[in-house]
Formats: sequence, structure tokens, C-alpha cells
Amino acid sequence: MKNFFIIIITKIITITLKIFGKNAGNLPGNLALKWDKDIFKYFKINGKIIAVTGTNGKTMTNNCIAQIFKDAGKKVISNLQGNNMETGILSTFIKNCTLTGKIKADYIILETDESYVPVVYKKLPLDCLVILNFFRDQLDRNGEMETLILKIQKFLEDYNGKLILNADDPNVSRLSKANHENKNIFFYSIDKCKESADELYEAAEGTYCPFCKTKLQYEYYQYAHIGKFKCPNCDYGEEEIYQLLTDINVDEGKFCIGGEQYKTQYDSLYAFYDLAAATTVAKLYEIPEDSVKNTIKEFALNNGRLEKLLINNCKTVINLAKNPTGFNVSLRMLQKDENKKDLLLVLNDNVADGRDVSWIWDIDFNNLDGVQRIITAGIRPYDMAIRVKTAGYPAEKIIPCTSIKEAVEKLYETENTKYVIANYTAIQNVRKEIKNFHKS
Amino acid sequence: MEEIKILHLYPDMLNLYGDRGNIQALKYRAEKRGINVIVDYYYLGGEAPDFSKYDIVFSGGGADSEQALVANDMLKYKEQIKKAIDEGVFFLLVCGSYQLFGKYYKGVEGDIIPGLEIFDYYTEAIPDRKKRCIGDIIIEVNLDGIKTKVIGYENHAGQTQNVEKPFGHVLYGQGNTFGAQEEGFMRKNVIATYIHGTLLSKNPEITDYIIQYALERKYGEKVELEKLDDAFEEKAREQLLNRYLSKRYEKGEFYEEIKKK
Repeated sequence: MKNFFIIIITKIITITLKIFGKNAGNLPGNLALKWDKDIFKYFKINGKIIAVTGTNGKTMTNNCIAQIFKDAGKKVISNLQGNNMETGILSTFIKNCTLTGKIKADYIILETDESYVPVVYKKLPLDCLVILNFFRDQLDRNGEMETLILKIQKFLEDYNGKLILNADDPNVSRLSKANHENKNIFFYSIDKCKESADELYEAAEGTYCPFCKTKLQYEYYQYAHIGKFKCPNCDYGEEEIYQLLTDINVDEGKFCIGGEQYKTQYDSLYAFYDLAAATTVAKLYEIPEDSVKNTIKEFALNNGRLEKLLINNCKTVINLAKNPTGFNVSLRMLQKDENKKDLLLVLNDNVADGRDVSWIWDIDFNNLDGVQRIITAGIRPYDMAIRVKTAGYPAEKIIPCTSIKEAVEKLYETENTKYVIANYTAIQNVRKEIKNFHKS
Repeated sequence: MEEIKILHLYPDMLNLYGDRGNIQALKYRAEKRGINVIVDYYYLGGEAPDFSKYDIVFSGGGADSEQALVANDMLKYKEQIKKAIDEGVFFLLVCGSYQLFGKYYKGVEGDIIPGLEIFDYYTEAIPDRKKRCIGDIIIEVNLDGIKTKVIGYENHAGQTQNVEKPFGHVLYGQGNTFGAQEEGFMRKNVIATYIHGTLLSKNPEITDYIIQYALERKYGEKVELEKLDDAFEEKAREQLLNRYLSKRYEKGEFYEEIKKK
């Protein structure tokens, strides 16, 4: 009975917040969990739960999978707004359940924070877990990356559901060995292409074999430590690939799966990896290929993840980057663009960003050719200004701003192409200011 | 042309918190003054470096698994490192490397990583795995009689004790142990600290102290470093100093806060 009332009250809160135009986020789940820590048991779930985790690309992959299933006529519930911790997932349940706790959907697709995978799926029946990548991210919140991987590994030791892994990330691929009994492991990978490189110079994790500590050998790198690797000592690597993306043409947004060509709005290899994961799920759940192709062709997040806009006639690209790898990927896009460019870098240090801003020193700023000005903003604009100055960019072309509004106004003083890179709690603010500026 | 030679140890393994930014800051500030900077790297299992031929040696912090590997390798060079320190080569050691230069590091399970035993301090991990000294930190240091504040970020489970002379006095944050008054270890030619953030990026006085020391030792004459435009650095410092010290500093309230932690 108690749970019944918890659901009613938290549902009322969810609806009330919605009336006032606010997204409920974590609040209802937070309250429900406070009132009953076993509240998850109250829900009756008929559909299959698919979880998506990893450092970068969770929202994009999760939302793409949800879209694929929806377009194929399935009933889907998902935390599309990226509330991916225990309380956020609980809020999604509260919003979508009946008063008796029934969740009526064919599929429940849940973006899940890496550190909450063991916590949440100890309590819920998980049908499929997708693991994208592990990069350095918010170390002060999660503890060291290795600790995080070991936590997930421990969870996987007695998990026998479907496990979809990025074969090209040695930190992810190793998790296939957590439970030798599990026969439901599926790897995805992206073939060597124009973007691939022989050398790595960005901040890297996992360059040593997790099993025998020998330095891994790479046939090629795709970005950061993602690539085709093998341990020369114990033969770790070379997994059997279930889903391989081939004939990669990043600039035109094209790739092939099993000879069939796919078209996407995205033009970065980094996004292709998310699409590879999403299409692997689609294949595994037997979604018709034509339907998947259509979804991939139309799919775009438009929430500050590789978002393209035209503001005051200036081509503008906005991307979220909360760690060095995400930043390097954004910078790589900008380096390919031969136009004159202005850069806006926004750095916050709220708890959700990680209070520690040291990570900006692992960003590779060596190639800023064609960048006319760099505007820095957010809570820590001066840290970012020092960073780019020390990388050799002329100090007189760096403009630190304490207000995002001011930064956006400065940004559009010229007609150059704009690249905006912002971290987690900064991104929506920046988008809002840019859109307001466009209207005014 | 004056020249500074820097040796960066294990850059691919001890690189946890943007610590390579320290090298970039040294290089930037030296080159701005027309000093040529050469940086060599030593990787695990590589050819033995000649520590004594360098002016500055830098070593950063790593994850636990990597630190154990590095410790084994570094022990091979114990005598050469000791000799270089005695000869006056400057050593900047951050986080894990700070610990490794002491007597030992004792993990949560009681496992012991032997240190180089160059300095007398030792480090033990706090038994509660969930507890770490994490957060922004501000200390006051004394550089040859000139007092300055050092700002940065600390993130360590290790509690370092028996420190002969600390790097600085804690104004905000934890330091060598939870609620410690002191942070790091210092000698004329050694700074060992838990502070990253990156340390030298926001503390140009420390960077210049190291450059000046290295030049004076190498060329045997007093050096006056040319002033640089540090507008960004000053603003970054002002921001953090205001955030944590401002009025509460004058009233001494932050001492109460540290005790409560």
C-alpha cells in the first residue's frame, strides 16, 4: 500500500513540474527512493530492458536505439533526456507506469551512468547491456577508471543476458572475459578508413594489456585509444566481429553493413561508433533493415551533440565535450574545416562536470590553424584561456568572458564559421544564449 | 642561448590528472624568455636515462595498477636518482611520484609498494575505500623568503606522514592527510606535492622559481627572469582565492570547516 502512495505522490509532482514547464529530472525518483529503498521491486515490467553505458556517446546511442524501435512500430519507454543515474531511471519509471506499477512497453531502453550499472541492474531484469567505451571522465566523482571497469566486470560475472561490446576499445572488449559461461556476447567494430591513423598522440587509456600488462600493438587507431589492437604476448584482441561497419566515408556520412549502404546526418567517426552500437542492437532484435536504414538517415539529436545551426548567417557547430577525448574529436572536426573559424570554449566546474578542471591539459590543442579568435567562458574561463595560451595560441586573440551572453555576442562579431565546445552543465545554457541571440 | 633540459618520466603511465601540463607550462615560460627547452621522455623498460645530465626531472601520478608497475621499474634507478638529487638537479614530483620517493606506500589491503627511500616520509591508504582527499586546495608556500599562495586540486587516498619539511601550509583543503595543516614536501631542489590542476599552469611563481633555480645552478650566476604578461593567470587565481578564502579567510572560519571534515 505504501508504494502505491509513493507512486501517486511522485506522479503528481512529475505532472505539476510539467505544468510549470519543468522537466522532472531526478526529483521524483529521488523522493521515491528515499521513502522506500526497494521501490524498484514494486514495478511490474513485461517488456525487455536494454541498457546503454560508457563514457562518451550514451545519449546519442540510447536515443538512436529508441528511435529505431519506435520507427519499427514497437512501444518504447526511454530516458531520452539523459537522466541516467538511479534516481533518473526511477523518475522515468514513475512517469510511465500505471498506479499499480505496471510498465507497459515492448522495450525499456535506458541510458545508464557507468557507475550505476551494478546498482540499478541488481534490482531489474536486464535483457541487453551495450558498453560503448571507457575514457577518463570526471575522475573525482567516479574514482579511477580502472575501479569503474572492475565494478562493471564484477556485475558481469553472473550476468548471462546479451552483452554488446565495442571490439575496438581494449577497456570494453576485456569485459567479454568476465563470465565465460555467457554465450550472448556480440562485438561491433569499424573498419580501417581515411580517418584511421598509425600513431597516437592524444591522452590515452588502456594502452597496456589488461591481462598481462604488455604494451598493446595497434594496427591502426580510429581516435584516442580506439582502434584495432592486439596483445603481442597473450593474444588478447582479435575478437569475432558480429557487426562491422565498412566502406566508411565520414565526410559524406556514409557507411556499409553487410554490403548495404547507410546514410547519416553525422559526419564524424565518433558518431559512427554510436551508430554501430545502435545498429548492432537493431540486428540482434531483428528489426527490419529497411526500417533501420530510414531511422539512421533521419536521426539527429539536436541537443548540443554535434548540432549544426545557421545563426546570423554563420555556420555554427555545437558539441558537448566533457573529457579530453570528446574535446579532441570536436577539434578534429574543426581542423578538417578549411574556412576561417572562431572558437567558443565553455568550461564549468559544477559537481556534474567534475570539480577538477585538470583534464583540459590532456586536450590536444596543437593544431589551431585557421582559428581567428578563441573566446572562453563558463565558470572557469581563465583556466581555459591559460590552457590555449600555453599551447602556443596568441594571447591577444584569446577573449575570456565571465558571462555566456557576452561570450556569444563577442563570438558573432565576425562572419567566420563558429565552433562551440562546452562541457556538461554548460551546454544547454550556451545553446539557449545562442538561440536567444539569433532571435534578437 | 641558455638551455634547460627536462626529463619527463613515464609520460604514458603517470599521466592521470593532466600532469603533463606542468611540462607545457615550464616550456612556455622558459621559451617566452628566449631559453631553449629540450624535453626527453623515459618510458617503462626503456634505455636507462642519465639523470645527472638534466636540469629538471618531472614525474606525475598514475592509477594504482600502473603505479605498481612503475615502482618496480623506478627502483632500478634508485642510486642514480639519489645522486642527481644530491648534485642539485631539480625534481618536481606530483601525487603518485611524491609517494614513490618516500619509504613505502601501503595499500588498503595492506599490500606494500616499496618506495625509493630517498626521503623519510611514508604513505598509507586510508582504510575506507570511499574516502579520498578530494577538492580544490590552497596552500601558502615560502619560496626563499617570499610568501605566495599555491592553488590547485587534490585527489588522493594516500595519507603521507613523517614529512621533514612541507611544501606549504594548508589554507583550504586537506593536504598530506585528512585535515592536515601541511601539504607536500620541499627542499631547495625538490617539490613533491599532491596538487595538480595543473600545478604549474596556475602558479607561475612556482614555475619561475624552478626555471630560475635551474638556470642559476647551470650557469653559476644570479638570474633575473623577465616579467611576463600573466593577466589570465592572475584572474584564475583571484577567482579561486575569492571563492575559498575571501572573508572566511580573514575570520578564520575555514579552519573550523576543515576540522569538521
